[in-house]
Amino acid sequence: MSTVLHYDIVVIGSGPAGQKAAIQGAKAGKHVAVIEREIGVGGGCVYRGTIPSKTLRESALQLDRMKRSAITPNAAIPSNILVSTLMQRLDEVVTSHGDYMMNQLTRNGVTLFHGRAQFRSDSLIEMLTIDGMKQTVSADTIIIATGSRPRAPVDIPIDHEHILDSDSILSMIYLPRSLTVLGGGIIALEYASIFAALGVQVTIIDRADRPLQFFDAELVRMFVQSFEQAGGRYSGKQAIKDVRWDGISQVVTTLQDGQVFTGDKMLVALGRQANIEDLNLSTTGLIVTEKGTLAVNEHCQTAIPNIYGVGDLIGPPGLASSAMEQGRRAVCHALGLPVGQSADIIPTGVYTIPEMASIGLDEAAGLKRYREVMIGRAKFNEIARGQISDIRDGLLKMVADPTGEYLLGVQIIGEGATELIHLGQMALQHGATVDSFVENIFNFPTLAETYRVAALDIVGQRQKRLKSIAA
Amino acid sequence: MVNGHRSLSASEVLMGHAGKGFSTSYRQESVLTSREHQSASGIDSNMDTAIHAPHNVEMPEQIEQALVERIDKDRIELPVLPQVAGRVMALAHDPSADAAHLSALIHQDQALAAHVLRIANSPAYMPRTPIASLQHAVAMLGVNQLSEIAVTVSLKSAAVKIPGHEADIRQLWRHALASGAYAKEIARMRRYNVESAYLCGLLHAVGKPVVLKTVTAIAADLHVPLGPDGIQAFLDGYHARVGSVIAIEWALPPQVAEAIAYYGVYEHTPTHRQEAMMTCLADRLATYLLVPDSYDDSTLRDHSVFADLNLYPNDVDTLLSLKEKILCLVDTMAQ
Repeated sequence: MSTVLHYDIVVIGSGPAGQKAAIQGAKAGKHVAVIEREIGVGGGCVYRGTIPSKTLRESALQLDRMKRSAITPNAAIPSNILVSTLMQRLDEVVTSHGDYMMNQLTRNGVTLFHGRAQFRSDSLIEMLTIDGMKQTVSADTIIIATGSRPRAPVDIPIDHEHILDSDSILSMIYLPRSLTVLGGGIIALEYASIFAALGVQVTIIDRADRPLQFFDAELVRMFVQSFEQAGGRYSGKQAIKDVRWDGISQVVTTLQDGQVFTGDKMLVALGRQANIEDLNLSTTGLIVTEKGTLAVNEHCQTAIPNIYGVGDLIGPPGLASSAMEQGRRAVCHALGLPVGQSADIIPTGVYTIPEMASIGLDEAAGLKRYREVMIGRAKFNEIARGQISDIRDGLLKMVADPTGEYLLGVQIIGEGATELIHLGQMALQHGATVDSFVENIFNFPTLAETYRVAALDIVGQRQKRLKSIAA
Repeated sequence: MVNGHRSLSASEVLMGHAGKGFSTSYRQESVLTSREHQSASGIDSNMDTAIHAPHNVEMPEQIEQALVERIDKDRIELPVLPQVAGRVMALAHDPSADAAHLSALIHQDQALAAHVLRIANSPAYMPRTPIASLQHAVAMLGVNQLSEIAVTVSLKSAAVKIPGHEADIRQLWRHALASGAYAKEIARMRRYNVESAYLCGLLHAVGKPVVLKTVTAIAADLHVPLGPDGIQAFLDGYHARVGSVIAIEWALPPQVAEAIAYYGVYEHTPTHRQEAMMTCLADRLATYLLVPDSYDDSTLRDHSVFADLNLYPNDVDTLLSLKEKILCLVDTMAQ
């Protein structure tokens, strides 16, 4: 065996979680190595998930804007357009993002290895390189950030030809005429809305009565309305009996109640599966949950104190933003550094068309905690910028405590939601009152005005209540 | 080493450098096809073809000029194997035959498959959406119309019957089938869409039988002697170019067109590098499968495409374990 290389911290995986963990360790002056099994850094986020799907989304958005434009009404994508054409800038975007991350890691003195990691003990990792050679690496702290891949239910014959997962769907040659989407989570909804906007007949089939169970019900209802107006269909409360390719042209989905759906292609988006099988965890005594994720505490620490798990590997929420924060926190905890207050509240962004975003408590969570909340609403179509930009399917919900004074959370649907949410995030982190949105002047015309309008809505309710109490 | 701590041995592969430095993939591909040709046509297998790269073998100038002229003037004719065409004709008159049966039958013939795709996508049939696969073609056009296309193509095109080269044609066909099958498996392993991968594999060397037929015909017309080495040089030197012409004329999807043109030099693929890499590997595995003395296990793996596709040794083992399955598939479909 070759010499064992020792590092203060070894990070397995270079996706958002692993990358931030490595940077945090390096900035703390530690000797850090990252082992990545793929050729480039960035993980599924860059090569198969976040970045590629958002590139396709941009094309769909442009088409959507053209359809609503007076100059190009009834714009439609040519039926013979290639999916690769719709993602024309993808290589450029991926390369640029990958280079940026690579530079960031190397600039911070992080050592990068290309290979597959396997545990040999709690502190010893064996790395198998692409050319079949082995190198043993030891570390004081090990951060597992191997991410996830699309879950492949045993009873659904995913063939990556007709029945696809979220990895293979982007390598289709042409847009299908129709697409059946199984699942009601973020990935399912993002792709469903993107393909619907591109003119594909999309049907979502899911067990739940509404998609995105964790998200504000009012906003999700608005999303479903918008999706169905774009020609999509949501079929909830359904149980799948059978999925098969008919051997000719259609994927046939039979439901338990006898209904049959057909589509040119199918996207199976029924959750993700943690990448842990190749890690040889049995040598460490690490605990894998029933859902196949790695069990960790609130510090992302596993049952073995020097081993941490971060990102998709430890389960929901499965967002790049939260994964980055987990990576940073895990290393801070391992090194005994203060975690800081900034990361208590992490926003959720859903890149559907239209976008959705949330920070803090939503209405349901607020009611659960306070029994009563005050909700302020601002519709995008009542804001000058919404009218100018023709962003009509938009709503900002501001959740305040029962007195209507303190901000508890913000939820937004509409284009720009994932950017707009950060104003609410900063307000929450600094304990801003509802009134502070009224007292501050925002640029005009901007969508940020919705914050002010929603705050005024709450102030109005508050005054009304005071009057009724006084009366 | 990135951070200056130390430099590792070959076991350390720095990010972004995996598999780089290998620049002879085109040459390898050429050697490989040369061996394959030898095996099929009975050329002296003791001859060291590794030193006979295509540019080192002299191609008779008159034949080359005539070939280039035909290519430049788009006068390259794609033949259809009459055996399958005959079966399609029979199928068209069989009321019990269904679309899936027809699709499966057409799948067996690369030339026919390509013709069907080309014609199904032509303005004459005005498909609502471009037809990317044979299943799609069957679904869009129906059994009867598709049978008509197949029969018409077969009647109009001269079948590839080149006296003395029957074994070559058979071997090329088997290689195409095996490449298509391997390409699908590689795509599945890479979690890539297999639809385009299969077509890329099946059609990647579509230019070879055409070059073979053309140069032997030209040689006969001009009464210029053309030996096995010369033929091999023409195949190696022109099949990608002829394949590209065919791809353009037939309006094949760009993934397939680029795989045909660049599978041997995938580093230069303009857009669809994944497809070109998968095709390169499929071609290599197909040769390993069908030409037993082409590689041993270690020389097979000695190619940058494995690292560039991020295939680890156990992934390659998995692909190699499919040997019997793919051979069985090739034997069945080639009958």
